[in-house]
Amino acid sequence: MLTKTMNPEKALKVVGTSPVRPDGVPKVTGLAVYGADTSLPGMLWGKILRSPHAHARIKSINTAKALTLPGVKAIVTGADLPDHKFEYVGPERVAVNYWHLTRNILAREKVLYEGHALAAVAATTPAIAQQALDLIEVDYEILPHVIDVDEAMQPGAPLLFEDMITRGVEPAPAKPSNVSKRLEFSVGNLDAGFAQADEIVEMSFKTAAVHQGYIEPHSCVARYGADGQCELWSASQGHFVVRAYTSKLLGMDVGSLLVHPAEIGGGFGGKTVVYVEPIAVALSKKSGHPVKVMMSREDVLKATGPTSGSSMTVKIGVTKDGKIVAADSTFKFQAGAFPGSPVMNACMCAYACYDIPNSRAVGFDVVSNRPKAAAYRAPGSPISAFGVESVLDVLAKKIGMDPLELRLKNAVKAGSPTAWGPKHAHDGMRETIEALMKHPAYKTPLGKNQGRGVACGYWFNGGGESAATVHINEDGSVVIATGSMDVGGSRASMALMAAETLGIPYEKVRSTVADTASIGYNHVTGGSRVTYATGIAVVDACNKVIDDMRARAAMTWDVNIDDVIWEDGHAKIADKSVGDHTPLSLAAIAAKRAVTGGPIGAEAAVNAGGMAPGFGAHFYDVEVDVETGHTKILRAVAAQDVGRAIHHDYCEGQIQGGVVQGIGWALNEEYIYDKDGRLSNAGFLDYRIPVASDLPHLDVIMVEVPNPNHPYGAKGVGEVNIVPPMAAIANAIERATGTRMTSLPMSPPKVLAAIDSK
Amino acid sequence: MSKHHISTVINGNPVEFLCEPQQPLLDILRDELNMTGTKEGCGTGDCGACSVTIDGRLVCSCLVLGVEVQGKKVETIEGMADGDTLHVLQRKFLEHAALQCGICTPGFLIAARALLERNPDPTEEQVRFWLAGNLCRCTGYQKIIEAVLAAAKEIRGA
Amino acid sequence: MAPAHVVLTSGFSRRYTNGIKEFDIDASNVRGVLKAMDQMYPGLGEILEEETAIAIDGELHEVVYTQVIRPGCEIFFIPRIEGG
Repeated sequence: MLTKTMNPEKALKVVGTSPVRPDGVPKVTGLAVYGADTSLPGMLWGKILRSPHAHARIKSINTAKALTLPGVKAIVTGADLPDHKFEYVGPERVAVNYWHLTRNILAREKVLYEGHALAAVAATTPAIAQQALDLIEVDYEILPHVIDVDEAMQPGAPLLFEDMITRGVEPAPAKPSNVSKRLEFSVGNLDAGFAQADEIVEMSFKTAAVHQGYIEPHSCVARYGADGQCELWSASQGHFVVRAYTSKLLGMDVGSLLVHPAEIGGGFGGKTVVYVEPIAVALSKKSGHPVKVMMSREDVLKATGPTSGSSMTVKIGVTKDGKIVAADSTFKFQAGAFPGSPVMNACMCAYACYDIPNSRAVGFDVVSNRPKAAAYRAPGSPISAFGVESVLDVLAKKIGMDPLELRLKNAVKAGSPTAWGPKHAHDGMRETIEALMKHPAYKTPLGKNQGRGVACGYWFNGGGESAATVHINEDGSVVIATGSMDVGGSRASMALMAAETLGIPYEKVRSTVADTASIGYNHVTGGSRVTYATGIAVVDACNKVIDDMRARAAMTWDVNIDDVIWEDGHAKIADKSVGDHTPLSLAAIAAKRAVTGGPIGAEAAVNAGGMAPGFGAHFYDVEVDVETGHTKILRAVAAQDVGRAIHHDYCEGQIQGGVVQGIGWALNEEYIYDKDGRLSNAGFLDYRIPVASDLPHLDVIMVEVPNPNHPYGAKGVGEVNIVPPMAAIANAIERATGTRMTSLPMSPPKVLAAIDSK
Repeated sequence: MSKHHISTVINGNPVEFLCEPQQPLLDILRDELNMTGTKEGCGTGDCGACSVTIDGRLVCSCLVLGVEVQGKKVETIEGMADGDTLHVLQRKFLEHAALQCGICTPGFLIAARALLERNPDPTEEQVRFWLAGNLCRCTGYQKIIEAVLAAAKEIRGA
Repeated sequence: MAPAHVVLTSGFSRRYTNGIKEFDIDASNVRGVLKAMDQMYPGLGEILEEETAIAIDGELHEVVYTQVIRPGCEIFFIPRIEGG
């Protein structure tokens, strides 16, 4: 349902400020409880046995010796989890196939990547559990492996699934391959479009897979009771989703599993799925004791979903005065060991910033011997943007146009068409580009080996299901709860919106995240959806409570509820002619709650729609050391349409965070495999993410084009900021050195080789 | 193998524990002493989330064995505040929104305090290089640097 | 009252409606649209509920029965998106 922005003319009192968040003090004092911080009496330690091979058939698993080790209380393998029918359920892009999912949790017939879990042990100490792993005997038949997406698509490539027939191709192929799916989005007439172009550029690109890089490894504690009731403490981006996946994978009723939301140490999409939870529950069930399972950093890099590596070709045509007339691209994405790369998003987002009348985007979802891909901040969009925004830069240079002017000339607005069909419903792209162009440093000249690059980005942003409760305490203070895990300060934004709606100070609102038994379903904290959808639920619940309090005031004053308004945290008589009554505060109404009907509270549940997409436009100034190939970022400026910044500093923080992940993706992050398909850089030393000394000051411009469908105009903020950096930095490197990089990461050896080969 | 009996001082309090020779200090703190404020991010000394100080020296507790703190003074995040009075660095981190998920925050606070004890007036570049051993994936570091510089200013009374 | 103009993606129409992409449907809410589509292609209603989101004049929504649609609006059934 579309709720209109409340009283846009009325000045906001607390929304837009930057108060301290409710979980702030526990986090700076080390008291906040994250997934690995929970301990229970009698708890066992779970450790997971992982495949040392990139691709192998499992001929047998023998746990007999391990079971005899004193201290070992339970061992599980794939055989301990129920099997599932092979079928794709749910929406096409994120179709879950439980046949695949259970095999990703614990392998059955084959191991499909180095690090693939195949057994787990629960023991009285971590050391004993580790020893027990070494006693498990696995007979592998090693198979040839394939990792690179282009190689995986070659005829004759080793097949991960001997019966995989590509979906989305008609007629269906006769022979199996590693291509799980083909999809296509097209609009207009490509030939006619390209015929109008004065300049056409077609280029190929490759991007390496990158990991979300959250500092907290996956961990959880499970306690399965003899009555079949289980409690789980898990750090995830969605405890309801954890409950849904875990219960299904264990063959349990949803209601038998209670998931407590632990604090989470970063997710970025990677913790919207389960890895250790089903294993901990299975071990707890088998042993009869609580079990803690924690991944090591090595396990995280070897066995949890990074985003896809890709191979793509992008062709774009423009007229000499800068109108984009046609675009045609092919995106091949590595899904990892099981289908489900974000190639569909990549196809849909590729041209979404621009009004292009003729376009086609073809995508391939390809399996290969590495961990199954998981969502990573605007999944798919940063990858296709790398190709599209690089080609646009080449075209801008060819026609002699300022690269931001080229973007602005073609930028979408409300009513512009999209490549997948519906029109855009929201403005924001133009305003963001214009704000960036106005930045004082945009025109400052640069020196030798220095260059400036720009790029734009788009992300859908999500809505969906959320629930919230609001209760008025006896003293008039307020407690609110939602089921949305807090990754970046959302408890504070919920409190701000509640305080604004109720007309009370922020400090009077206590904001929490409730477990799965205490509140209605909340979808994941991801997709930039929480401030939007959960915010709507919070405001709705507050409005229900306001109506309740007005009714109680009316009762107390013996007037009609229509004669009572709510203003500045008080019930007030609307018109003095009805009577003269002192306004009643929440405290006053709460003091009389027993006689006016009992506790004051409400729950609201929504399936939110009407969300607006994220638009970003960035520029980066770089300096390239032509002796070493090292790229230094001199300046980073990110403009983004946030709708309205509910918590000013946390919004800014989201944008800075995405920019830096993008810088890492652009300049250094990749998976390095040896000839046996084993990961050579399975740690933070060599999987090198940006550190403080790598970075300049990060400049953020928050543009506010409010979304009228949200009570405070909010748009999703968290994701689109990672979409522009890679292409913008590639464009900057080109301006600095004359060398066009077409593969990520643009690490020093690769930049040096490209410069030297000219 | 029998365990070692270690006597040490943690956050000013005398503490004794038993440990295997190969157990890292990080595991002792978290699993034996229930002090879970110090975090494990990597276990190999690359991320700084497990930072503590031993006799005033900044170290990664995942790279120090429990047996090594015999007779030494260890400071962890749990000892940073004075009762319910936050250390100025803790306050500044909150005021400057220098944390999002907060998992790296204890490590950064310990490392930042160690810096300011040695250099009360660092430049921004000095702060960035000192903190290069602490990884953060959420914030992009900007607000952390601002918080540390603001804390330094307040401590100096400037 | 002007009917709503309902559009499916090419992939969807190939799979479920013999390639026909566009329909004019008389309905005042999304439930009405789903029932009409299901009448033309039995089973399609549930598939649309499970697998798609809708854009009403470009505005993105989850598929919710009570969602009101204005006469003459354009409704696109698009694949549901997930973020990270």
